[in-house]
Amino acid sequence: MPLLDVRGVGKRFGGVQALQDVSTVVHRGEIVGLIGPNGAGKTTLFNCISGVESPDSGRIAFEDRDLLGMPPHRRARLGIARTFQNLQLFGSMTVLENCMVSYDAFAHRGMLADALKLPWARFEEHRARERALATLHFLDIEEFADLRAQDLPTGMQRRVELARALCLRPSLLLLDEPAAGLDADETIELAGFLRKARERLDVSMLLVDHDMSLVMRVCDHITVLDFGRVIAAGDPPAIRSDPVVITAYLGEAA
Amino acid sequence: MTPATLRRILIPVGFAIVAILPSFYDFALQGLAGRAVAAALLALSLVLLTGMVGQVSFCQYSFAALGAFTVGSLVVGHGVNFWFAALLGTAFAGVGGVLVGIPALRLRGLLLAVLTVAVALFFDVFLLAPGTWDGFSGGTLAWPLVPFPSIFGHLMDNYTFYLFSLAVFAIAALLVWNLRNGKTGRVLRAVRDSEVASSTLGLNVAGWKLAAFGVSAALAGLAGALQAVATGSVAGGSQSAYSFQYSVALVATITVFGASSIFSATAAGFFIVFAPQLLDMIPGLSHNWWPLILGAILIVQLVTSPDGVVVKTQRDIAHLMHRLAQRRRPAVAAAHSEAA
Repeated sequence: MPLLDVRGVGKRFGGVQALQDVSTVVHRGEIVGLIGPNGAGKTTLFNCISGVESPDSGRIAFEDRDLLGMPPHRRARLGIARTFQNLQLFGSMTVLENCMVSYDAFAHRGMLADALKLPWARFEEHRARERALATLHFLDIEEFADLRAQDLPTGMQRRVELARALCLRPSLLLLDEPAAGLDADETIELAGFLRKARERLDVSMLLVDHDMSLVMRVCDHITVLDFGRVIAAGDPPAIRSDPVVITAYLGEAA
Repeated sequence: MTPATLRRILIPVGFAIVAILPSFYDFALQGLAGRAVAAALLALSLVLLTGMVGQVSFCQYSFAALGAFTVGSLVVGHGVNFWFAALLGTAFAGVGGVLVGIPALRLRGLLLAVLTVAVALFFDVFLLAPGTWDGFSGGTLAWPLVPFPSIFGHLMDNYTFYLFSLAVFAIAALLVWNLRNGKTGRVLRAVRDSEVASSTLGLNVAGWKLAAFGVSAALAGLAGALQAVATGSVAGGSQSAYSFQYSVALVATITVFGASSIFSATAAGFFIVFAPQLLDMIPGLSHNWWPLILGAILIVQLVTSPDGVVVKTQRDIAHLMHRLAQRRRPAVAAAHSEAA
């Protein structure tokens, strides 16, 4: 049984067919790459999987459970976390608070327990803090815990978003261009973190990126999109030498 | 001295002054002080809504009217116990807040402001119009005085009711403070900063916004219930103390002071009630100048310190104390700035 099963998904915005009959599968423990030129529909597919948008056709199943019609927050609670291409950090909050929010959805206390500072509210607060700090330590950004997210450089903000998503303890992590704005060294470091997260935290991933060195380095399997359609799928060496993929990336003239 | 210790000293002292001072006043000024506490509670309701979730509301006084008119109708018209009536009024306002919150879910900024203005105007011309509540209130045409309630078999007077209101405000402020520093505050700020990220982290954005609207409106309703007794009347129509213009003045004042601070809510409440009175004491001016002056202050403040005067002052004080501490412990300070 695949962890994530995307079957024949289509999505149209006005006159633009953003996705057409797109299928891809993520098995448990896999890191699957999703590549394609700008405007190929990668982010739209992410939005359909995380529930920010709903597809016009097709079906998306997570652990054999149909996701369509399910609001984003319920999908997140099932174990689907994501990062954003245009960073969506809580800018006015500290790095630690950003990560603690990931535990808040699962906290059982309501506003009343919070207002009265009941014992279990304090206990849960303490536990969320400890767990968030552990994740920050895992990604080696503990020292930034008390800084405001918006004051960090972009590369660091991307890592905070990764930390925040991992705090959700997801079984599937959707990464939307995690290497955008990173230099070569930072990208290699990111690849290390992704592999470490898969091994130690048992997270499977669907990864969108333009940085081929990252995609080729970490992905077990790659799906290529162009103009909203899947034009190729296979393992990294096969994709690298696929003439259709090369044409899509370099243009007809190549 | 850290900002926290300063707070621990200033808050009790401030409360003692505010509690004792009106005992030297005459009846009319004590009534004003009661209104000021109600206004502070209303400002607190905006701290929750605007300061924490970033939603605007130009209809807080309409929610207050729900509380006030429920208390007026039930206590005067039906002889219901004040405590029960106040509880019911608070609950009605809370429900009203959720109802306004539902269409507000899809709106932000200007459109949300327009929606709340529409709600306030609807209240003004329909619910606050003379006669609307007569059926509900048992045929009381003109609102007679709302009597003071009893506590432990002891009938309150103007001053004891003021003290009671102040205690209610203190408890409400403490609860909002706890909310802000706990999970709720963090979640609401997250929703304000990025709704899409909040939802993909498992937060029910609509639910949290509705909860904020509901609790904020309930606080406003409670303020209305207190004000009904403090001013002794819930007059509707042109004399209504719950009309749109007061909501606008409330938003303007809380913006001047800073919507994210509980301190500024307290200051805004007293300012909004006493500033027009002070204008009456200045020769050549009167309270009729108040909207003009408030508008001018708002413009100057928005240009110079958009976060609000109180918030800016708090930040300045914290900065100053940090600087002083740095001078005292240069080694620690150096380590700190390195970490930053």
